Amino acid sequence: MQTEADYYALFEAYQRGELAAGARADLEARLSADPRLHQRYAEFDELTSTLRTYGERRRTRQTISDLHASMLAADEAPASESTSTGLTHSVNPMLRISRTEQKLRDFWNGHRATMGVAASVAVLAVFCTLLGLEWWRAAQTRPSQYGYTVMNREIAKLKQGQRAITAKLNGSAPAAPVIENKYSGTGFALTADGYMVTSSHVIQGADSLLIEGRDHQRYHAETVYSDVKHDLAILRIKDAKFDGFGRLPYTFKAGQADLGERVYTLGYPREDVVYGEGALSSRSGFNGDTAFYQVSIPVNPGNSGGPLLDAQGNLIGVVSGRQDDAQSAAFATKSSYLVRLVDSLKSKQPAQPYHLPRANQLAGAGRPQQLKRLQDFVFVVKVYE
Amino acid sequence: MNMDSSTALAADAHLIKAIQSGDERALSQLYRLHWPMVSHFVLQNSGSEDDARDVYQEGVMVFYEKVREGSLELSCQIKTYLYAVCRRLWLKRLTNKSRLHGVRLLDDDDYGPYLNTGAEDDLQEAEERDRRFATMSEALTHLGEPCRSLLEGFYLLDKSMQDLTAEHGYTNADTAKTQKYKCLTRLKKLFFASYKEA
Repeated sequence: MQTEADYYALFEAYQRGELAAGARADLEARLSADPRLHQRYAEFDELTSTLRTYGERRRTRQTISDLHASMLAADEAPASESTSTGLTHSVNPMLRISRTEQKLRDFWNGHRATMGVAASVAVLAVFCTLLGLEWWRAAQTRPSQYGYTVMNREIAKLKQGQRAITAKLNGSAPAAPVIENKYSGTGFALTADGYMVTSSHVIQGADSLLIEGRDHQRYHAETVYSDVKHDLAILRIKDAKFDGFGRLPYTFKAGQADLGERVYTLGYPREDVVYGEGALSSRSGFNGDTAFYQVSIPVNPGNSGGPLLDAQGNLIGVVSGRQDDAQSAAFATKSSYLVRLVDSLKSKQPAQPYHLPRANQLAGAGRPQQLKRLQDFVFVVKVYE
Repeated sequence: MNMDSSTALAADAHLIKAIQSGDERALSQLYRLHWPMVSHFVLQNSGSEDDARDVYQEGVMVFYEKVREGSLELSCQIKTYLYAVCRRLWLKRLTNKSRLHGVRLLDDDDYGPYLNTGAEDDLQEAEERDRRFATMSEALTHLGEPCRSLLEGFYLLDKSMQDLTAEHGYTNADTAKTQKYKCLTRLKKLFFASYKEA
């Protein structure tokens, strides 16, 4: 009985052709006759040939990595030569990179995609924030729509400018700092006993309201009701020492005014009361809103909330805003909405009853006389935030 | 263009013949010729200089072994073949180490239709061979001394039996031979056990 090792000796001798002719023929006959022996031979063959090719592979690998090293060495040699002999031929720029630059390049190559994504996310976030802020602010200043400017005045700037001028003129230091109001608008008396009307956008976001008359009489006021849709607000003066406006000279028109009627307004676009005159140019407002009139009165920031009266001294509307891209197109809430609003408030058991004026004392009087009576009932509404 | 490619093919054929006859200078020339292409490709696809070297050496090895065996069936230029092989290799490494599933490569259009170069099949063959060599290397390690150095000396390093007898301190060549055959039977068990299992 031969051991496996003995067979291997036999196989090796056979492969090398060292067997005598007789023995070889004998082995070949046995290989073809005995499948187990054949299997054994096949395994031996596979094993030894794998070993040999493995050796071959290791040598090849070595050769190739030597090639790489010698290539780098050959490339570097002329590169250093050329620096000493003065550029005889171009240098491979890939090999002239400093170590830090190489590191940076590797980093960039490795993280290019990630950095791209990060950058686009950052840009997106910035734009979303900006858009969101813009949107939020737009929502804050309703009912301003595109091309429609509400007429409350950013007073702080104007006033500071004026204070500075006055201070210069007087040559005196300004008085102790007072809290400046941020916006102002116009308001007018609704009843003799302290209710007032203005635009709802004037008092939007207000912390406290101060009413200032022509004679610089000041009152604190509170908001009773605010109707954003029709841009109307009802205020009430809450000072204890307040004893009424006196009899109101105008009445509130419950119906609609006619097209082409001469109308005018009083308001406080600046420190002093300003008169504006025009005609009723349309019975619908911005974008066809039927709650408003369009009038051809030049209005400015600060006019908002001012009264709109017809030639007979009937109050027909409350100034609300203007259209930016049209010449002197101002809008005013119709007085019918105001009257309706007061009616609905009456039914809600108010703290103080509403007594709308019944008699019109302005009819027939000339315009200057009308204004003289009227201006005692038109006020600045100052808004503190 | 046609002239170019036909002269290039002629040059390739010349080079292949030289490499097949074992001319190291020809291999070195080939190695240098195509290194910039592969290095550029790998660097462009988020690899480092070392990655490029590994991939290129692997690619050249596949090519070289096919040439030496005489079984290379080249239907394109050598550079296209090498580009295809290295591209495939690098794609594989990238997919292995990348968390992103879809890896897209930036290709150099100059090295043109790299598909259908036969590179895929050759690579698969080479991988199979790699697996076999890895198993063999492991089997040799498990074999232990002195069997390992005896077999490595004889088969891998082509040393003569006389040298090995002297090296390992056997009394005569016959003892060494017997020892070698014993080692072979042990290696056979180790190798086939893990190779078939894998």
